[in-house]
Amino acid sequence: MRGIFVAPLLRILPVGLLALSLQRVVFANHPIHDVRLQLVLALVVAAGAGGGADRGAVAGFVLGLLSDASGDTPLGVLALAFGVGGMTAGYLHRFTPDPQWWLAAMFATAGAAVGEMAIPLVKAITGDSGWLNSDLLITVPIVAVSSGLMCPLLMPVGRWMMGVKRKKWKAMAE
Amino acid sequence: MFSALSRRRVIALVVLTCLLFITLDKHGNPVIDRVRGVLATVLQPIDTSLKAIALPIERTWYGITNYDDLERENEALRDQIEHQKGNDVEARSAVLEYRLLLKVLQLTSKFNYPTVEAQVIGESPGNFQNTIEINVGSVDGIRQGMPVTNGAGLIGRITRVYPTHSLVRLITDPAYSVPAQVLSSSDDADSGGRVPGVPVAGTTTTTTTTSPGTTTTAPSAAGGTTTTTAATTTTSALAVVRETGLLQGQGGNKPLLLRFVDSSSSLTNVKVGAIVDTAGGIRGLAPQGIPIGVITRIVAQSADSSEIVEVTPNASLQQLNFVAVVLYVPTDDAVGP
Repeated sequence: MRGIFVAPLLRILPVGLLALSLQRVVFANHPIHDVRLQLVLALVVAAGAGGGADRGAVAGFVLGLLSDASGDTPLGVLALAFGVGGMTAGYLHRFTPDPQWWLAAMFATAGAAVGEMAIPLVKAITGDSGWLNSDLLITVPIVAVSSGLMCPLLMPVGRWMMGVKRKKWKAMAE
Repeated sequence: MFSALSRRRVIALVVLTCLLFITLDKHGNPVIDRVRGVLATVLQPIDTSLKAIALPIERTWYGITNYDDLERENEALRDQIEHQKGNDVEARSAVLEYRLLLKVLQLTSKFNYPTVEAQVIGESPGNFQNTIEINVGSVDGIRQGMPVTNGAGLIGRITRVYPTHSLVRLITDPAYSVPAQVLSSSDDADSGGRVPGVPVAGTTTTTTTTSPGTTTTAPSAAGGTTTTTAATTTTSALAVVRETGLLQGQGGNKPLLLRFVDSSSSLTNVKVGAIVDTAGGIRGLAPQGIPIGVITRIVAQSADSSEIVEVTPNASLQQLNFVAVVLYVPTDDAVGP
């Protein structure tokens, strides 16, 4: 358990800070139908799809904490939501240990949908229920699909960030 | 790899730590505030570097794709300026009249508070928070809870302050609420929501600049630049109705909701088009008299028979560039944790 917390932290922090900064400077200023694409969440679900549920949860937790601390949300809200999103995307590894890119993108889409949907839910638990409205029907699909599309590009970064090496398969000698 | 037990442990640890952090931060924790400050300091140079790279690319792209639209918009704006010139004279006269009335009735207004000009340097990165980042902070005298305005009216309040920048929660955020009042007359439709005039003679108004970036405008009897106007307006017998309520954001670009405090408000003259401004008061988040918007729809009656109305903000919150922080510090009760 120590391995998944300590070693990747050295990689996750610089990558996370860069992703967060890109989110604030580029993605925040270019909404699509008033919806801001979520690069940090896309990175979390890519890490989950590439490394499994536990690594996805840890990536979501750390990157979510960074997002919370740089914004106005109570510390832990985005960490919990992103953690759940990363974990959902990581459940892919229950079905296949080395998924194809399109399968990873599908699970990343589902993980991003869960992660984005979890934000207003967690906020509602903390007493800010104003975001649970019909706008979610537009926001969640756009964020989920865009994260799924970004997944193949971000998965190598997510794997490296979490210290996951891609499996090499060898044919058994007869 | 990891056993099922360790995976469950990791996930449980993540969830419990999150809940602990949420609880600590909701109750206010100086350590967490310090961590936020450190992160803001670390992120600033990264943001600046990325902006330096992204801005030229962005501008080139806009130049290629939006040139015709910009030219059309420019022509439309020039037309609009010509029309505004006419309205400006009328508005100046109304402001002078308003300041005189405040002086005569010995009322305080937002004009008694200095302001600090600021530029918007960032928008909220997420879809579930309506915030902006401005380039003034604690070294400029900014404190948590101060109201923020632009030329059109109230836009939000300061929620986090760092040495050189601050976060502003916009009025459209569901977590934002402010006591507000509706000003309407019994004949609102005819008067357009304006307070009727009174005979005026020998008005004295003073405008003083205190320091760079900080301007104070206040009615004064002596000193400074004196503008004397002599005007006479007709007095009508219209009664001005003042309804107080709590104004709340609904998220996104949706209009604001105003819930009246007095359950008998439905019986009064609250009409579409009436002006809404801050109510002030000891527990108010802003001084009295900062314009917020106009009533655009009367939505429904709540359980206690008072009306809920929709208010469209005067300020265009999607295109904020320069804003002013009113140096009014609300009480700790009003600001909250």
